Amino acid sequence: MDTTFALEMESITKVFPGVKALDEVTLRVRPGTVHALMGENGAGKSTLMKCLFGIYQEDSGIIKLHGHEHRFKDSHDALKQGVSMIHQELSNVPERSVAQNLFLGREPLKKTGLIDHKRMNDDTRTLLKDLEIDVKPEQRIGSLSISMQQTCEIAKAVSYNASVVVMDEPTSSLTDNEVQHLFRIIRQLREQNVAVIYISHKMEEIFSIADEVSVMRDGQMIGTYDVKDITNEKLISLMVGRDAKLRFPEFKSTAGETVLKVEHLTSSNNRSFKDVSFEVHKGEILGIGGLVGAQRTELMEAIFGVRGTASGKIFIEGDEIINITPRRAIEHGLGMITEDRRGSGIFPLMNISSNTSIASLREYLNKLHLLKHKQLKDESIRYNEALRTKTPTMETLIQNLSGGNQQKVIISRWLMTLPDILIMDEPTRGIDVGAKFEIYQIMGQLVEQGKAIIMVSSEMPELIGMSHRVMVLCEGRCTGILDKEECTQENIMRLATKFM
Amino acid sequence: MEIKNVLKGSKKVASQYTTWVTFVGLLLLLSILTKGTALRWNSIRNLLIAESVRSFAALGVGMIIITKGIDLSIGYVVCLTASVAASFAQNPDYSSAIYAGHTFPLIIPILAAVAAGGLFGLFNGYLVAYGKLPPFIATLGSMSIAKGLQLIYTKAAVVGSLNQNFKNISQGSVGPIPNLIIYVVIAALVVYVLLKHTRQGTHFYAIGGNAQAARVSGINVERDLMMVYFYAGLLYGTAGTLLASRLGLANSLTANGMELDAIAAVTVGGVSQNGGVGSVGGMMVGVFTMGLINYGMSFLGVDSYYQQLVKGFIIIIAVYFDMKKYARRA
Repeated sequence: MDTTFALEMESITKVFPGVKALDEVTLRVRPGTVHALMGENGAGKSTLMKCLFGIYQEDSGIIKLHGHEHRFKDSHDALKQGVSMIHQELSNVPERSVAQNLFLGREPLKKTGLIDHKRMNDDTRTLLKDLEIDVKPEQRIGSLSISMQQTCEIAKAVSYNASVVVMDEPTSSLTDNEVQHLFRIIRQLREQNVAVIYISHKMEEIFSIADEVSVMRDGQMIGTYDVKDITNEKLISLMVGRDAKLRFPEFKSTAGETVLKVEHLTSSNNRSFKDVSFEVHKGEILGIGGLVGAQRTELMEAIFGVRGTASGKIFIEGDEIINITPRRAIEHGLGMITEDRRGSGIFPLMNISSNTSIASLREYLNKLHLLKHKQLKDESIRYNEALRTKTPTMETLIQNLSGGNQQKVIISRWLMTLPDILIMDEPTRGIDVGAKFEIYQIMGQLVEQGKAIIMVSSEMPELIGMSHRVMVLCEGRCTGILDKEECTQENIMRLATKFM
Repeated sequence: MEIKNVLKGSKKVASQYTTWVTFVGLLLLLSILTKGTALRWNSIRNLLIAESVRSFAALGVGMIIITKGIDLSIGYVVCLTASVAASFAQNPDYSSAIYAGHTFPLIIPILAAVAAGGLFGLFNGYLVAYGKLPPFIATLGSMSIAKGLQLIYTKAAVVGSLNQNFKNISQGSVGPIPNLIIYVVIAALVVYVLLKHTRQGTHFYAIGGNAQAARVSGINVERDLMMVYFYAGLLYGTAGTLLASRLGLANSLTANGMELDAIAAVTVGGVSQNGGVGSVGGMMVGVFTMGLINYGMSFLGVDSYYQQLVKGFIIIIAVYFDMKKYARRA
């Protein structure tokens, strides 16, 4: 193995007021390897990366690139030195072409000083071909699928002749097929002797792509391990600092009577879902599986009245609900935790209390139709305490909480509306292992109380571990509903790819 | 060490209450510079009267900005409503009166102006909420429409010779307190209760903070958006009535530029252009801060050209701190 490291971060310490975010953290990455960086949210992964890219100034420690000490002023400087980062959120300009995005800020010029569009497109075409990415340089990047856009960002990183590429949860919005494509590209990078730092919460990915894994916890580096020598359980216990035998809690509940019935529901958008029928029972978690693009979210939004339907019927407790709107859905005991927490979940500049009570204001009015502030606050506190939301005060703005705690506030919001049926779209996306388990426990308690949960999930283990039954969609159509015993990864994948 | 902590603490308070700190600071500065003479009751009373009409516009646009909207039509809508009010309050024997020879009960000019404002509000609101037009463009259009209507209605003439009863609406006083100040207090209280204690007010903040999340939470985003422009329109109509009453006339220059004054005032008052943040207290402080700057500089004999300059910088500084305050933590 190569003796020099592509990147060394030695004894990095970073102190924020009141908290030691990084405590003598050392990370060494070899060229031509995929190095996974793991840890719960708040373990210090992003702080470490921000120190690398000069966004934060470390208090002490040394950063070496190929054996030479180096400090980056900012991410642009880092890029010029061959260190690039692919962020969890896309950072492209959707209205511009693929080539324009790839060469943003360093467009090739003609002698006249004008942009050489031809060369830009040609160079992009060659690059995309090398990476086996099937898009045209002239295509508007916003018209591509999320995964394609992400792949283009990787192409961009490669085009800078990067020797170190950092990927921050690159697969959080990708389907299994797309993840496979991404992995092919990562392996190609590895063969070109690039060092890849791969940040992810997903165990399965670490084991299939990484060579080494470094685990962080509470601002400290716990250790670096060869992936071959480590097990799933061991990794989890290293991350959470305790034995985590159970990934999913045990809960006892049996399906009761039908609370929600959907018959032949078809979207008003003819490229979305078609003719979907299913039932949900009291005390049951119905999982919804499928690949991205299977129209799972769209189906949920239609049931909740956010999107329109062309035909089909929705029954709640036997009553048909016509012209459903979110307001009417809530009145009929439906609640919905959306997939995109930042986009359609939180009110970032509102405090915890207001974020919790916003969907229930109607129930807390006095005779003059004014809000009962005290009761609203007390109830918000009650729900958040029950879910163990960690927050300094109820007046804290929700944007200052971690993803897991934000999610608990959103769950509190819906529990406060006293729902009978809760739609949870990707309930644990972007949440660390510890908080995930707590969310699972909450879900278990809810079904034990006789509520029904519809859970959309892209994480296979979650789908299998939590659901009583799983309905699988493929290209907008229901390809099957699996009972607990039939819920295997193979069965779900078979149904999810039926029309592909 | 202790001093450091105190400094740190006061810095925190200052950033949290930028608006109030600015206001009190200016007040202190002015009283030092003028050795207290600028802050006699008479002067303050004049300041309050001068800013009263603008307060109505500020309350209206303040609510709109909370929903992440904007309203550029204020100036001309107030101008139109002032003209409408004035046209129903002219002395009947005035030969160039719009309705020469007619006398209307006092309630008519008020109702007509408020209704005109309300209609414009509904129009703006409909375009923004249901027409999905960007508020900037929708209200830019209605600004021009309001101006056109005002010119057509008044034939570009001054609407003058208003009767004394109408003028008394704003020029009278209860004891030492001018009527105008009482109206402002009432309006501020109503808007305060609306924003702070009603469901709809809470919805305004939610819509401004995250419209999609508001929709999912069961809020009828379109209806609430339309209503916020409607309420603002009613406030503009009231502003128009009071302005005509105070000036004793209305013409095509009445209230020109009021939209910028009002938007600047609420921005200084901490209503965030990013939506979802702002309070009635802040809006009012913003209005009086801007008023104080005008008044103080006039009192000190600063050239009015420089006043414009200083005002501009104050707006920019206020927004700069506002943006910093709500910048997402990295």
